[in-house]
Amino acid sequence: MIHGPRRYLVRHVTRYTYDDVLEACYNRGLLQPRELPFQRVLSSEVVATPPSELVTTHRDYFGNASVYLECRTPTTELEVAATSVVQVDRQPPDLAALDAWTVAGAAAAVAAGADPVDVAEFTLPSPLVVSGPAVRAYAASVLAPERPFGEAVAALTHRIFEDFRYRQGTTSVRTTLAELLEQRQGVCQDFAHLAVGCLRSVGLPARYVSGYLETAPPPGREKLQGADATHAWASVLTPSGEWLDLDPTNDHFTDSRYIVTAWGRDFSDVSPLRGVVFTEAGTSTLTVEVDVDPLPLAD
Amino acid sequence: MSAQAAEPASALLDAYRRHPARAGVDELLDEAGTRPHAEALAATIAATGLPGLLAARAEAAALVADEGITYGAADSGVRAPWLIDPLPLPLDAADWAGLERGLAQRAVLLDAVLADLYSTRALLRGRVLPPAAVLSHPGFTRPADQVDDPKRRQLVLTATDLGRDAAGTWRVISDRTQAPAGAGYTMATRRIVSRVLAGLHRTSDLARLRGFFHTMTGALLDASQGGSETPRVVLLSPGSSSETIFDQGLLATMLGFPLAEADDLVASQGRVWLRAGDALEPVDVVLRRVDAPLCDPLEFRGNSEVGLPGMIEAARRRAVTVVNPVGAGVLDNPALIAHLQPVAQALLGEDLLLDSPATWWCGDDASRSHVLARLERLVIKPVARSGPSAVRYGWLLSAAERAELAARIGDEPWAWCGQEPVELSTAPVVTSGGLEPRRFVLRAFGVAAGDSYDFLPGGLGRVAAGVGERTVSSASGTLAKDVWVPASATERVEPERVRPRLVVAPRESAVPPRVARTLMTIGALAERAEGTARLVKVADDLAEDFSARPGTPGAAASAHLLEAVSRITGVEHWYAESALGYLTRVALDASATGGVHSSARLMTAEAQEVRDLMSVDIWSVFSRLERTLAARPALDEALQPLLADVLESLLAYAGIVAQSMVRDSSWAFLDAGGRLERARHTVSLLRHTLVADGDPSAELVADTVLRAGESIITHRRRAAAGTGPARAAESVRPLLVHDLSNPRSVAHQLAALAADLRLVGDERLAAQAESLLPSVDAADDAGERLDRLAEALNALGARIASRHFVRQATRRTAEPTWSTPRQVV
Repeated sequence: MIHGPRRYLVRHVTRYTYDDVLEACYNRGLLQPRELPFQRVLSSEVVATPPSELVTTHRDYFGNASVYLECRTPTTELEVAATSVVQVDRQPPDLAALDAWTVAGAAAAVAAGADPVDVAEFTLPSPLVVSGPAVRAYAASVLAPERPFGEAVAALTHRIFEDFRYRQGTTSVRTTLAELLEQRQGVCQDFAHLAVGCLRSVGLPARYVSGYLETAPPPGREKLQGADATHAWASVLTPSGEWLDLDPTNDHFTDSRYIVTAWGRDFSDVSPLRGVVFTEAGTSTLTVEVDVDPLPLAD
Repeated sequence: MSAQAAEPASALLDAYRRHPARAGVDELLDEAGTRPHAEALAATIAATGLPGLLAARAEAAALVADEGITYGAADSGVRAPWLIDPLPLPLDAADWAGLERGLAQRAVLLDAVLADLYSTRALLRGRVLPPAAVLSHPGFTRPADQVDDPKRRQLVLTATDLGRDAAGTWRVISDRTQAPAGAGYTMATRRIVSRVLAGLHRTSDLARLRGFFHTMTGALLDASQGGSETPRVVLLSPGSSSETIFDQGLLATMLGFPLAEADDLVASQGRVWLRAGDALEPVDVVLRRVDAPLCDPLEFRGNSEVGLPGMIEAARRRAVTVVNPVGAGVLDNPALIAHLQPVAQALLGEDLLLDSPATWWCGDDASRSHVLARLERLVIKPVARSGPSAVRYGWLLSAAERAELAARIGDEPWAWCGQEPVELSTAPVVTSGGLEPRRFVLRAFGVAAGDSYDFLPGGLGRVAAGVGERTVSSASGTLAKDVWVPASATERVEPERVRPRLVVAPRESAVPPRVARTLMTIGALAERAEGTARLVKVADDLAEDFSARPGTPGAAASAHLLEAVSRITGVEHWYAESALGYLTRVALDASATGGVHSSARLMTAEAQEVRDLMSVDIWSVFSRLERTLAARPALDEALQPLLADVLESLLAYAGIVAQSMVRDSSWAFLDAGGRLERARHTVSLLRHTLVADGDPSAELVADTVLRAGESIITHRRRAAAGTGPARAAESVRPLLVHDLSNPRSVAHQLAALAADLRLVGDERLAAQAESLLPSVDAADDAGERLDRLAEALNALGARIASRHFVRQATRRTAEPTWSTPRQVV
């Protein structure tokens, strides 16, 4: 684990190529890192090619930087490049302090003490995270009511890591949690959804976090599994009022290699880039390139 | 009418009084007799008697058919007619005034709730409203957060479903704020009832409905946040497949704003624009009849074809105002009803004037226990309303169904509410067996006016489809009731509140490409129906005269004409089919594409798409035409009178277009469609009736062609005066092609078409239309020249289409599937 300050240059390029002219395209992206107590955004910009006639950013319902790009210049290729410099400084979570609560106690304390909107928003089911009986049963085996809270969250992270194979192409946004539990394989988005579903099923507010992970392994260490350049993990609201980020894909809590772009109830709230295009094109290709390059810390 | 007036002696009313299904509260009668405010109605019922009332009912149905008032989705091209009970439902002046006060308070309150839910959410943070009751509602529209200025009036329109309970008190059953529908139907219902019960209507001093629409026009103009002196407002419609397209069309007409569909609009530079030919005109206000989840495919459902990508961003930039706001559907929530009393205290410091039946939100433990213990006595409503079938009436459920429902409530308690059923009042409905009591609900419509709201006096009344039904749901064939509010009940409104902001300079409405195409198609189809009807008429004349005389030139001419009909219309003449049988099919068979009936049906369907541009009178013409064509005469019966009727209807249509429409771009496209079609039809007619000189049938064929081209009299007059050829065959081309003064000639059509194109600002194509004229002047090689002319006309049509009918390219959504980036090492 890497704690303490780290600085990164993040470049996230999405390129659409069509076999006919795009007459117009409209895009909404959540591509820029959030400003957080442990994460400073030193610079961030989104540039489209051909240039958009309108690029505008607002804070969305969840506080994410949401960029709108509008392009009505005829083209067959559209590129959206987000470039950010961000400094992250995370400390390890104090699990012992969290163990002062049981799972049930933590849920009750959060429900009583936290912002009621956050509690309801992140405990209710969401479009892609519907906890049915299968999820409840799976969660119950780890998140027992009397289990110490910190230990239980770590155990959930570990349990998903152990039970599921990381395999691309076996799931999609339409895969339900029940199907995922059946097939026991998927990618980081699936595992994040499952963790969120499990936490919610025992009454803990949990959200889906999307961002980046530095994947170059430090010398002498094992390469991280699921080295997605865009990454997703889960976060749970603790009785202290802070959110604890857990990454079931890699079996640990987040550290300074994790860069947060956006959070929401699930993937549907924070899709990195979606668009509507007007075209008669029959086929299109899409490439996404992400580079997370460490930068030297400034003095 | 005095309160002491004797009860009118009437067997009809007596039977109604004794009817066992009459509820404790009846809108016509109370224990003492006729309710005082309904005495005039009772007197009319008594005086008219059942046969008269049934005649009024039939007349209402005929008027509904004439005006094309429909409701619901089209089923194989046909929509169900709007059903109206001829008896109005009078409300007492004081009763209405009280209801209006309650509705106004509720509207102000809902507006404040809406502003809070999309800004600070203090109601949720302070737990005045349980957060889960709102956040679990699909109408809570996260992309709409902070879009509207919370200090501005956001809820411009309201609709409220009400019923009168067993104590006679009005109760709110549900709020409909997403995209309120029905004000147009209310107006249409009033128009019809006021005609079928004209006497009663004349002597009743009613509050008029029109003022509400004026106020609404003003409210929509006021909703504009741009600096425009004359804001542009459009009604965004899902299109003619929508269930309430009639309502949308009439509303647009009443308001004076155009109907627009997704293809008519574009978002550009953070604004919304109306496409008008090559130009774009800024739109300031969108009256939204597309539900939120479909209205912007960039923010919500990516596959919506009826929404405008970029609209919400434009609204966020305050460059356009969407009415009602995109998030307004969150107010259509029974869980909100359960908590509205404390919300009213928190936001207004007032008690609710207008209450709802007791409602419990199951997300609260005590409420859930209460509901689960009384499932069989309550109406169980899901928080997320998805069609009326989702509402469950506990008393109709079997024990197993109740157990299943209880389990679902246990699983997702926040998603359910229980509501005390309202023992709705009854109102009399005319049936062939007499007056029948039916349960009554009222949908009231409000519009922001000043710092409060104005209401459509009365609103849309609806009664249950059957006598035994305890509820009234739009899905099951309810009847509309015209609700009458006396003028005295609304006079208290201060004049400055109802003054609409007037459009300073009424501008010519822009014609988007979809509308241009539709209008031109309507014009073409009307002309095709007329041209084909005339052709069938003359062909039938010939066939009648000569089919029994084989071998004569007459029979040859008749055969020639039948062949021409088949070529021109594309309707195949079957082997061994009689001439009359074939021509009847061309005229009447709606499935014979190219025939009269088929063209007329297509024309009516296209007209539905641009209802806001069509004169009200058009619909009764179309309706009469359809009735004529739908008649199935016996085979041996003459086709002629029927065709005369058809032509009369089509001439009435042409008269309305010629006499009642302003000469703007809309008219120009409609006219251009007819001109181009008439030119094509005439050329085609000449092309397919060319007969070699010297053929004994030539003169008869030419005579028939001149008849079909309405030019036989001119020919005869000129021949007699010596100013034209004596032979019909020599008159055909000069009269039907070249003669600019003949309104049936190709030359005349091209000149008129050029004028139409100039009116829509297309000088280039106007010049092209005119340039086609010289090419028809030479007289030799007739067949080849006609072919070339036909080609030139088709090419011109294609050019008009490619310049004026350009649809936007197909939309596709683009979203990276997850987790496919290349691995970074």
